[in-house]
Amino acid sequence: MRRVAVIGVGVTKFGRHDRTSAELFAEAAADALADAEMPAARVQALYYGNVVGGETEHQLHTGPQAASVLGIPTVPTTRFETACASSHAAFRHAVMEVASGASDVVLVGGAERVLNVPTADSTEYFAYASDASWEQTLGLTFPGVFALVARAHMHKYGTTEEQMAAVAVKNHKHGVLNPKAQFRKEITLDTVLSSPKVADPLKLYDCCPFTDGGAALVLVSEDVARTARRPIWVLGSAAASDWMLIGDKRDLSRVAATERAAAAAYRQAGIGPQDIDVVELHDCFTIAEIVATEGLGLFEPGTGGLAAEKGWTSLGGKIPVNPSGGLKAKGHPIGATGAAQICEIVTQLRREAGPRQVDGARRGLTHTLGGNTATVLVSVFGRE
Amino acid sequence: MSEPAVTVERFFEQARAGELTGIRCGACRALAIPPKTLCPECGARRWETVPLSGDGTIASFTVIRVAPRGHADDVPYAIAAVRLREGVSLLGRVVDVPLETLAVGLPVRFRPIVVKDRSAIGFGPA
Repeated sequence: MRRVAVIGVGVTKFGRHDRTSAELFAEAAADALADAEMPAARVQALYYGNVVGGETEHQLHTGPQAASVLGIPTVPTTRFETACASSHAAFRHAVMEVASGASDVVLVGGAERVLNVPTADSTEYFAYASDASWEQTLGLTFPGVFALVARAHMHKYGTTEEQMAAVAVKNHKHGVLNPKAQFRKEITLDTVLSSPKVADPLKLYDCCPFTDGGAALVLVSEDVARTARRPIWVLGSAAASDWMLIGDKRDLSRVAATERAAAAAYRQAGIGPQDIDVVELHDCFTIAEIVATEGLGLFEPGTGGLAAEKGWTSLGGKIPVNPSGGLKAKGHPIGATGAAQICEIVTQLRREAGPRQVDGARRGLTHTLGGNTATVLVSVFGRE
Repeated sequence: MSEPAVTVERFFEQARAGELTGIRCGACRALAIPPKTLCPECGARRWETVPLSGDGTIASFTVIRVAPRGHADDVPYAIAAVRLREGVSLLGRVVDVPLETLAVGLPVRFRPIVVKDRSAIGFGPA
């Protein structure tokens, strides 16, 4: 297999937009191509993530739509749907297309539009990623899924609501430093702890927002990367699944798919968690960040809450997590999130992240979780 | 090939009538919640149906306060992952248990419920 590199990235402002998801993607993709100094005519394929376009925009067939709006209507496209991990799944398959030698220049990205519908509707559409017969009938929500994880983690390890709140405080602090973030405002532990309950024990400020936005990146073979100014290499990219039904999962205090995907990605890269300098991970809820830091091997099981409380995951800490502000503050346009996380790590490894730069970052990791913890992707990146 | 042991539709028809139906692998004896076509333990395609007691304990729980559009009238409502005596687990609504008394380890018992005209899993006091 050939080596693969990212040579261009683009992300829209995250928040509310009066544009279709295809338009949001196209803005990010044109920025990524310009960043790569790559003519659009050289793009050989588009791997695209979009989740609830069918519901919020009455739009299926979003791959060719996105390509047409960008202005590359003839390239082959495929739309990936693995709930909130969709564009990271698209990325992994694009890596395989380039690594195999089938293509030399591939565009990867995703976009989502949800703020054009009321919260009760978007809450319902997101719940479609849980089982229709067993779980949607009960009125299970995504905050509800992670509330079950939180309660199990609290019961097993003594994790506290204050430790979860520390994750939100940290990510909001990072978000202030990111001009693309949806929220650029510091909050306190009390802001989180006194916010309205959404799904006990999770409160409003334990939850990431609904977000419109797009993200894209240019993926190329080693030969093409050698002509680029600052390629960032893909060292590993892996996916794992777990049981769909909450009831079938073995231990709700862990995300087994994170552990399996991380093990595979580290094996491909030939490195371990101790070699990672910066992480963008899937903090859809504060407890999700705590469990992910454990599943990725950054901290021992049961100590992710302590790590947040002690500031070990803050900029300047032992292992900075979500310097972009994460899903919590940067925002979570679900179809774009995986690609946006990769854009942040590429920016960090290029040392171009400005005030949120992790000093001396050489290797980075992205982790994206889909839906009810049944899909996880992990990718590892490095400078030359 | 063989017919599925229990379809989703059949499971919820029986649940509505007060019966919980599991499936047991005819080869390795692993117990599972339907529908599953191949045994995840041994790969066999030979299931037998077995009645489940409906007795279990709460493994984790939440109280939903912001609901999907279709359930907005029901808030607040409790959902729990319940580990049944037989070792398999089910998610269900918890009914007739004061929300402030919910706890991990609390014994509960299956109770058929209907949510928005659809059969669903409920759990009440043991």
